[in-house]
Amino acid sequence: MNELLTSLRLAWHVVARNWIVYRKDFLANISPTLADPALMMTALGFGLSPFIGQIQGLSYAQYLAPGMIATTALFTAFFECSYGFYVRMTFESVFKAMLTTPIGVREVVIGEFLWVFIRAGLMGGGVGLVLLVMGLLPNPWAVFVFPFIAGLLAVPCGAIGLLAAAKVRNINQFQTVYSFIIAPIYFLSGIFFPLADRPILGVIVQISPFYHGVKLLQMCAWGRWTVGEVLTQIVILLAFSLVLGLWASRKIQAKLTT
Amino acid sequence: MPLTNTAPPAGNAAATDAVIRARGVTKIFGGSPALQGLDLEVHPGECVGLLGPNGAGKSTFIGCLYGVVLRSGGDLEVFGFDPAADSRSIKRRLGVVPQENALDEELTVVENMQLYARFGGLGRDEALPRITELLEHMSLDHKRDATIRTLSGGMKRRLAFVRALLSDPALLILDEPTTGLDPAVRHLLWEKVLSFRKAGKTVLVTTHYMHEAELLCDRIVILNRGTAVGAGTPKGLIDKEAPGYVGIFPAGSEGNLRAAMDPDWQLFHQGHQCCVRAPRIEDLIVLQQNAGLPALQLRPSNLEDVYLKLTGMELDADE
Repeated sequence: MNELLTSLRLAWHVVARNWIVYRKDFLANISPTLADPALMMTALGFGLSPFIGQIQGLSYAQYLAPGMIATTALFTAFFECSYGFYVRMTFESVFKAMLTTPIGVREVVIGEFLWVFIRAGLMGGGVGLVLLVMGLLPNPWAVFVFPFIAGLLAVPCGAIGLLAAAKVRNINQFQTVYSFIIAPIYFLSGIFFPLADRPILGVIVQISPFYHGVKLLQMCAWGRWTVGEVLTQIVILLAFSLVLGLWASRKIQAKLTT
Repeated sequence: MPLTNTAPPAGNAAATDAVIRARGVTKIFGGSPALQGLDLEVHPGECVGLLGPNGAGKSTFIGCLYGVVLRSGGDLEVFGFDPAADSRSIKRRLGVVPQENALDEELTVVENMQLYARFGGLGRDEALPRITELLEHMSLDHKRDATIRTLSGGMKRRLAFVRALLSDPALLILDEPTTGLDPAVRHLLWEKVLSFRKAGKTVLVTTHYMHEAELLCDRIVILNRGTAVGAGTPKGLIDKEAPGYVGIFPAGSEGNLRAAMDPDWQLFHQGHQCCVRAPRIEDLIVLQQNAGLPALQLRPSNLEDVYLKLTGMELDADE
């Protein structure tokens, strides 16, 4: 128990380190996280709404809205844990110094997950508030659960980023990961169009943690949920987090120790 | 100075009085041996130097000491703990100056040190006075609010020393601490290491500078291809492996020297130059006259001669 508490305390120091560095360039760091969903809502949501009409009884902007929170969580977590982690590991040698202290690789990985959970939670919560102000949430109470769902979704997405960071041989190879893994799960997970009429795609996307996060956000934002469905999606996201998190942890362990 | 030992008691201290005890330590990277049965003991208060060419296994061994390199075989204890099983207990007593400074470039000096003080378990109240004390000790107090990217290479290196000393370690590991630094900074850092030693602390240092090793170390271990090929005090190693005096002659003088020298003396090459090792300096003065060749330099044997001989970089003229 003491060991676990020590480990969590040390992992929290990793979070503190990331926050201190992050806030040094706060505006540059926060801009894409908030500007990209805002631009997406303006261009696709408000731009296409008049042409598309209603989807499942919602305007296209309302349909798109929960996906913007998922987008924030995905990109915050993936880029932080892929490019960000790789830069800290390879170019800044942060972990070479950190691992000379009582912090171990396990604390580094737990700290990274905690960091993306908090960061994506805050960013996702912020995007949710903007959507509320824009009147795009049929269920306004959902703003209270958005931070938790965004944080939860960020963990498996961050794990994919860490796996990529452990695997790539140079920083350019992240582009391949983005093109063949992140972009498909982003575009094909039901953010932009319903998957109900696409049975094959509807089955394939089940293996993507992002899809389950999107579904959970949509249920909450649209007020179309049942306790059973919500719990199912949360359990699935937790299972993805556990499996991908442990896998990423093993790969990073092998990368940082030889 | 603020260099008192408050480290907690060691794990298996009763079983060993050595700070580091390595027995037959091996490390294999993808089929290639980096360490091949290394034996080493470092006792409290000692300064031990690891010398060896690039790839000899110095940094690999250092990594094994705090668990970032997992040994393939052999026994290893640091403060009585096995690094593979309990590296955290070791790291609480350890300060490391790695080859790379690895400081957060966007943060200020104090912010960097506060982070590492926290990593090392120092509370907020005790961290700041400790940081201030060590920054003064390293003549960096005037830079406390400067960002790292504005510091010179020498300042960053001194700050890496401050970071290593934050948690008042009982063992300081220095991995090529003065590589690439100007002589003034190098002398300052040597002075700080010596003052750390005077406080009864233990130091393990890797270096390519023989003068640094002679100045700082009680004992030296020369590594080559993952094994210790020589060990002893600097003077002991010189007396044993390369006793006497060395005359350095221009390239191409081998024939004349061989004809004029005593067959028991040693003729070898260092780079393109021909060298003769003889028991007395007078022997070399006579050799100059007999061979008709003025020496470029006559000097006592030094640690570099030992190093070059034991690592196979001193080429015997007969090879």
